[in-house]
Amino acid sequence: MRNRLMCWMVVLAAMLSLSSPSLARPGQQQSAAKVPAAPAPKRDLSGVWQYQGGGGAENMTAEEDMPPMTPWAKTKFDGERPGYGSRAIPGGNDPILQCDPIGFPRVMFMPTPIEFVHAPGRVLQFFEREHEWRPIWTDGRSLPTDSDPAWYGHAIGHWEGDYTFVVESSGFNDRTWLTPAGYPHTEDMRATERYQRVDHDTIVYNITVVDPKAYTKPIVGRQVTLKLRPHAEIEELPCVWSEENAFAKRIREPAAAKPTK
Amino acid sequence: MMRKLATSLALAVSLLVFCRPMLAHHGNVAYDEIHPITISGTVTEIVWANPHVQIFLDVKDDKGKVVNWGIESQSPGILHRNGWNKSSIKPGDQITITLAPSKNGAPVGFSGGNTGKVVFLDGRVLRMNER
Repeated sequence: MRNRLMCWMVVLAAMLSLSSPSLARPGQQQSAAKVPAAPAPKRDLSGVWQYQGGGGAENMTAEEDMPPMTPWAKTKFDGERPGYGSRAIPGGNDPILQCDPIGFPRVMFMPTPIEFVHAPGRVLQFFEREHEWRPIWTDGRSLPTDSDPAWYGHAIGHWEGDYTFVVESSGFNDRTWLTPAGYPHTEDMRATERYQRVDHDTIVYNITVVDPKAYTKPIVGRQVTLKLRPHAEIEELPCVWSEENAFAKRIREPAAAKPTK
Repeated sequence: MMRKLATSLALAVSLLVFCRPMLAHHGNVAYDEIHPITISGTVTEIVWANPHVQIFLDVKDDKGKVVNWGIESQSPGILHRNGWNKSSIKPGDQITITLAPSKNGAPVGFSGGNTGKVVFLDGRVLRMNER
């Protein structure tokens, strides 16, 4: 109640300060105007980038926008007990709770930063989450046709013009969830991503996932923005089973336990 | 003028959206993120570890009984970017912390995001909102 009152007061103050011409000094408007970001460098995504989301783990698209599932996927989905989304319950069986890799594309919708590194023949994505590298090959190779399934799959990339990096990927295992809300996928999943560097500080990210054994139509991810963070460094965030287990016993499990009264 | 009014309204709406769910984007359904609480006590232990830094503190309840609370915060990386390190809070420190408590009444909770913060006796504040 008190918080809500505080919020209303802040809102009122903000409206008054913006609406009242008497409070603005000459020239103030110009100095407060947003300085446009510098133009994007050509064919370059280098740097540490921050997903602009709500602050927590998010779905690649809203649950209501997910396409219809196949019977196989529906059965699997019904058996999952996610900690997020419309079916969220405390505890649950999210694979990441036992330190399984979060996998792709779920890792793209996390609040932790991603560094892009250009190396000969590839672009590397370095995720703070799990401290994991994802190579995106740019040496002209094709996607493997009979690859061993991998947590982060296999990826190739090319530039469309000077500012859009297009990535195709396949070869995923089926042990990860597509989203924190427990949506499954098969080993046949393929993804197409577009990283459009619209200015020096901004990448607009789009992804489409196709998995006909699990979904009757492509899953179109909502468009999200990544912002350059020039002073940020990728920190360690591995999932260490001993730490995860101790954390679960001391905090997560007591929080998820059924009330005793 | 109309443009300024529109900007004001947009800001007002966004502030309201921001204010109402408080910590909701963390998304752990075990915690009551709509109704954060503030508790004060003496730090007994800091666990500087992934996936979440944990802060334990002794808090006197309304009957004077001391209860040890366990509070999960953000990852060490996120806290680093907010200016923390493993020595920022030490056992014996008297702190006040804002958190989303567990829905089941257990003395555990989550402190992070835009609302989570630690305030020391001397007024120093540690926040967790920078990603």
